[in-house]
Amino acid sequence: MRAFFKGFVGKVADRYRKMSIQMVISLSFTAVAVVGMVFMGLSLYLRFYTTAETLAEDNSQRVLAQVNLNLERYLHRMMRISDTMYYRVIKNTDLAEGTFIDGMELLYEENRDSLVSIAVFDKQGGSVSAVPLAGLKTSAAPQTSGWFQSAMAKMENLHFSTPHIQNIFDDPDYRYRWVVSLSRYVQLTRDGVTESGVLLVDMSFSGIEQVCQGVELANGGYLYLIDSGGELIYHPRQQLIYAGLLEENNLQAAGYRDGTCREKFQGQMRQVTVKTVGYTGWKLVGVVPAEELGATSRQTFLFGLALLLFSVFLMAFLNFRISAHISDPIRRLEQAVKELEAGTENVEIEEGGCYEIQRLGHSIRSMVSTLHHLMDDIIQQEGQKRRSELEVLQSQINPHFLYNTLDSVIWMTEAGRYDEAIQMVTSLARLFRISLSRGKRIIPLADELEHARHYMTIQQIRFKNKFTTQISAEPGTEGLYTLKLIVQPILENAIYHGMAAAEDDGLITVTARREGETLLIEVADNGMGMRPEVAASLLDEDRPDVRTTGSGIGVRNVHRRIQLTFGAQYGLTILSEPDEGTTVQIRLPALDETGLALYEREVMG
Amino acid sequence: MKHTSRNAWIQLAILVALGGAVILTLILPQLSDRQAADPPLELSVVVRESDSSLWSNARLGMEQAAGELLAELRFLVLTTSNDSQEQMDLLRRECERGADALVVVPAAPEELSQNLRDLTGQCPVICLESQVEGTALTVAPDNRALGQALARALLEDWTGGAVLLLNTAPESEGVLARLDAAKEVLEQAGVPVQCRQARAEGMMAVLDGLVRESETGWIMAFEPAATQGAARAKEEQDLKQPLYGVSVTTDVAAWLERGTVTAAAAWSDYAAGYLAVESAVRTARKERVEMEPLPFSVVRGEDIYDPDNQKLLFPVAP
Repeated sequence: MRAFFKGFVGKVADRYRKMSIQMVISLSFTAVAVVGMVFMGLSLYLRFYTTAETLAEDNSQRVLAQVNLNLERYLHRMMRISDTMYYRVIKNTDLAEGTFIDGMELLYEENRDSLVSIAVFDKQGGSVSAVPLAGLKTSAAPQTSGWFQSAMAKMENLHFSTPHIQNIFDDPDYRYRWVVSLSRYVQLTRDGVTESGVLLVDMSFSGIEQVCQGVELANGGYLYLIDSGGELIYHPRQQLIYAGLLEENNLQAAGYRDGTCREKFQGQMRQVTVKTVGYTGWKLVGVVPAEELGATSRQTFLFGLALLLFSVFLMAFLNFRISAHISDPIRRLEQAVKELEAGTENVEIEEGGCYEIQRLGHSIRSMVSTLHHLMDDIIQQEGQKRRSELEVLQSQINPHFLYNTLDSVIWMTEAGRYDEAIQMVTSLARLFRISLSRGKRIIPLADELEHARHYMTIQQIRFKNKFTTQISAEPGTEGLYTLKLIVQPILENAIYHGMAAAEDDGLITVTARREGETLLIEVADNGMGMRPEVAASLLDEDRPDVRTTGSGIGVRNVHRRIQLTFGAQYGLTILSEPDEGTTVQIRLPALDETGLALYEREVMG
Repeated sequence: MKHTSRNAWIQLAILVALGGAVILTLILPQLSDRQAADPPLELSVVVRESDSSLWSNARLGMEQAAGELLAELRFLVLTTSNDSQEQMDLLRRECERGADALVVVPAAPEELSQNLRDLTGQCPVICLESQVEGTALTVAPDNRALGQALARALLEDWTGGAVLLLNTAPESEGVLARLDAAKEVLEQAGVPVQCRQARAEGMMAVLDGLVRESETGWIMAFEPAATQGAARAKEEQDLKQPLYGVSVTTDVAAWLERGTVTAAAAWSDYAAGYLAVESAVRTARKERVEMEPLPFSVVRGEDIYDPDNQKLLFPVAP
């Protein structure tokens, strides 16, 4: 369980990290709103349900109180008849001298709408007087009836029976009428002597029925009447219950106290209100189906559900829109920053949205602007630094070589070798003119090769033609440009290291050719060569500079210049084997006039 | 952008749909009230007797059911009891008049079943007492069990002599089933049995003759009208033969009390009437209805005031 919870939390946290700010705002607001709405909805629902229940309860109690009042009036009327009969007629009559019949008939006629019969029995059940039917059936045995026995058992009380067919009187029409019998113990006077008897007043059941019928409670509720033992006295569907087509919870209801309670009967929840009818012990029971109480009805439920769904969706919809409105400037800002990261130039940084986002946008814009300026400064500084470095490297050529050459011119002049001196001076002049090249760092390949040629002319004179030189450029290289003074240092190395042991058979070749977008210049000699690892180490930046004879400019300087100018993919490659000679390959970009202009615009600013 | 716009439209559509649902749930109660205010169903009840008082208890039940289920009743009797042709004409007329369902106590079930076929397509027919092929439902006790129970009641008292079985409705399947079942039980018990056909209305004239002719010491009737007729004839002609019958009318209760009828098989006509109308209404509303046989009991004269029998024999309804 704990692991599951942890996993769940982890997943949520993971989702949260991947969510957009809009989604987070939208979901959070919606969740809070839904919780609030559900809470409010439930509170209202409970309040509504409780109110509906209370209203139904109040209504039931009010109706039951009214019916109870009517029923008590009816029963009191019957009791008054019984009292009148007893205290006005029976008590005042000595059976030895007269009968009750006149008084009984008078009472009966006055109340015949609600009476079926009035009768007086002696203690053995024999009929003393009865109206309207005087005779008893031959099979009648009043003393066995419940009403008779109740009266004899509790002499001080009046007793109401449950509804029954009165079967003791001999009715020539054989009418069978449902009655509720009111019986009481009476003292009969016969010849001055009192004896026990029972007074029976049969109330028409329809009288009770009239009081109770037509009463409707809230939500299709109804009421019924039971005696203290739960026996049905009145029920709106009494005959159906008697026929076994319907059941009522009357026996259990007999145990309920006055007030309202809930019961479950035949799978249905019901609100039951009980009111005891005074004196009789009867109970009026009001039944209201609890499922029908407003809040639980199907329509109310559907309405609540639809309203909740509508509100939730409306909230989600509005939250989505509002959060989009809030987060859109942030998203655009993020997009702009992403574009900046990807290297896009001229990215428009918006300063929209609310105050904080405007400030953020403004700050980012300022930051980017500052960054651009800084970057420009750095580039400029780097360019200057590189140019300075190149100039320093280039400037390393001049002093040694000039000194050596001029020294050679001197001794040739002194030796009377004026032609050679003139040639050397001419070549030197030419060499310097190309070296200067009006301050350009990149010159035509032809000039560079001419520069090499003049240099070799000077060196051949100096070295008394111990080696020969072949300089050529293959077709396709016309019009290409190269970094100036890159061949001469290689030739210088070839002369001082390769041709040192040569005896008029030294050969140095310089060839230039184009390979695709690369200009390849090879300087090869047939000198003593070196081991490949030594050759490889010549370009090693960590190798200490070793000043040797010659111009003093190593191949490393050339290599570094080329790489500083064109990038790491260009530069020198040295191939050498001992006693076989050395070949130095110079790789340069094949720059024509257009390419050169483009390059100068990009690199030099 | 296009995607966002489509989403917005979908959200709006859902919002409108939910708003519609809210409005619908608000007006649903009014709609259901309007449905409840539909005109009540019209039901016609056609019995096979000319005397409707025999069905007074059943009618009370029918009226209670009609009141509860919002139906209107037309209660029709025949000018001559058991006139199947007249009954058929009445049923046809009621059907053409637009009755939503018919409740019928068939005079001649077989004949009725043949003629009912063209009616049942138009409105459902619920039968009381006898089962008729082609009708939707029958509300009746288990007629064979009832006949057997009545015969067993007679056997308890039987001291010898033949039993006259009055066949007063030879075309009524239900009545015949009771008679046949009683006959079987009596014959199995070795009681001699004499079956005679007679009309219920003519019982006063023929019962004495039938008793003499068949030399029987016991009489059994299997329908309310016949029981009533036989009881009346027995009292008028002072016949001594114990009578066993079928009914729940107040008259029979009185005869039971007086001893004119020794025992009567009784069921709640009130319940039968209620169930018949309830079934008719539900069938007319195309609801599913299942019917169990009505419970019955055999009541003797001395038992009629037993609380359960009071509830069975004497309806409380006003």
